[in-house]
Amino acid sequence: MTRIKAYCHLREDFCLVNGQVISKRDTNSEDSWFKQIYKAQGFVYPKFYKMDALSQAGFLASELIKRAYPEMVTAYKDDEIAMVFANQSSSADTDLRFQRSYEQNGAPSPSLFVYTLPNIVLGEIAILNKWYGENMFAVLPKFAPDFFVNYSRILMSAGSKAVLGGWIGIMEKQINVFLFFVENDGEDGLEFNSENLSELARM
Amino acid sequence: MTYIGAEVIISPLGESAETNWSAVYDNRSGISLVESAGFDGESVYLSKILDFTADSKFAQLLIKAMEKVSAGIDDSIITSDKTIVIISSTKGELDRNINDQFGGPVAAITERFHLANEPIVISNACISGVLAINAASNFIDAHIYEHAIVIGCDVISDFVVYGFQSLFAISDKPCAPFDNARNGITMGEGCGAVVVSASRGIYKNPPMDLLSGTTANDANHISGPSRTGEGLFRSVKKTMDSHQISSADIDFISAHGTATVFNDEMESIAFDRLGLSDIPLNSMKGYFGHTLGAAGVIETTASMQMIRNGVLLKSLGYQEAGTSKALNIISENRKAELKTILKTASGFGGGNASLIIRSI
Repeated sequence: MTRIKAYCHLREDFCLVNGQVISKRDTNSEDSWFKQIYKAQGFVYPKFYKMDALSQAGFLASELIKRAYPEMVTAYKDDEIAMVFANQSSSADTDLRFQRSYEQNGAPSPSLFVYTLPNIVLGEIAILNKWYGENMFAVLPKFAPDFFVNYSRILMSAGSKAVLGGWIGIMEKQINVFLFFVENDGEDGLEFNSENLSELARM
Repeated sequence: MTYIGAEVIISPLGESAETNWSAVYDNRSGISLVESAGFDGESVYLSKILDFTADSKFAQLLIKAMEKVSAGIDDSIITSDKTIVIISSTKGELDRNINDQFGGPVAAITERFHLANEPIVISNACISGVLAINAASNFIDAHIYEHAIVIGCDVISDFVVYGFQSLFAISDKPCAPFDNARNGITMGEGCGAVVVSASRGIYKNPPMDLLSGTTANDANHISGPSRTGEGLFRSVKKTMDSHQISSADIDFISAHGTATVFNDEMESIAFDRLGLSDIPLNSMKGYFGHTLGAAGVIETTASMQMIRNGVLLKSLGYQEAGTSKALNIISENRKAELKTILKTASGFGGGNASLIIRSI
């Protein structure tokens, strides 16, 4: 049976793994919220500092899920984990910053432009983990559990053995990230269905 | 069997698959020098629909495509609750609403065409179109829907032109895919559409067989292609293996061929590794420019026109071999019976996708 093995939420002020708060935002810190999590969790991946907020969110949530469920690193071949992500605003947070670079700051910024696609976060996670599997980024009006369940099942019936998926909403100060890891033949954990996914997403 | 047909293209070369076919058959290009289109007011080569200046060009193109699609099928399919509309695009109507690039146009077509299901937007850089067609096929094979209307659409904006200029990725002449003197892309805009269905009976013209493909990430770099073509190699190999198609079965490859130095080189290496170097190949970017999220759909529909007309279409802009591995690039139009064709796409974020279409 397909099971949810681990999940992570990033909210404006809290970071949760499997429903437990692991970091709280320090409003007095000069660091961005994502940088606070990165430092507090002791991550070492200098590329993190070059990423836009969407990719930083994907990095943090996927790494925290890996820590909570280390088997996902060892149990799969390099192309057996698929990624299915979605959000409502595409890469608009970075698009706005890139637009400002040429409208207000003198010249279009190439380092911002390369992040003006929502699927770049999938590329960053693939590079970090050396994953050659299936990738999809969809833009949907709101979190749609059926979409994730349906498409994950499709990919798992076609050869993927696990899916890292979820909603990755980043828009200026609004942060609504919920990533999960599901296994096709998991033995324990919540069953992967729309009801359970809706329930977890609301946490 | 999953069918594909009722193809539509809207580009600077015309507003139907047939008018586009007659233009590309004459080896005409939609690319022209557009004045003041660049960041410093310089002229830039673009494949731009110049006689279409609606405010909401993106939404208007989607509506036009839906209208043309409905003329090619049993039109009760449009409103059926067994039909899903899948839109592939990178930037939607960014030029009108940067905060919500798809919401408005999606709502507009949902309301206007009385769609039963909310459309899905796939935004996976330059593989979006091929990925959307594959997703359509997968949804149908899984019996989640029976029919899918796939529309690839992207429009040229200052945003994308300035962005690619900032990467020094835009060619100073009409792009020349796979040519030794290639030096960058030409941006394009337009719309392609196909209908994918479990039912042969819905099409007014005979459909073809869609052999759904796979994606694979390069896991290498977010904006530079893999030097070894690893992701493209894996995607094509999996697609061919899953349908038991061998290299000898492929009659034609519609490659991605952006005309950047590194992309075209990467593709030559991947096709060489796949044993596909001898298969006739083109890039259609010389006709349509690089239409980003629409490219995979536009180029698939144009490839379907090649099958229908029995013609291998010249790869416009190509003169002299310019990749480390040899490719069989089509240098003149020629008649050929085409049964099985391979379409590939590669893009930012390390994405690679492929699919196969077979005449019935």
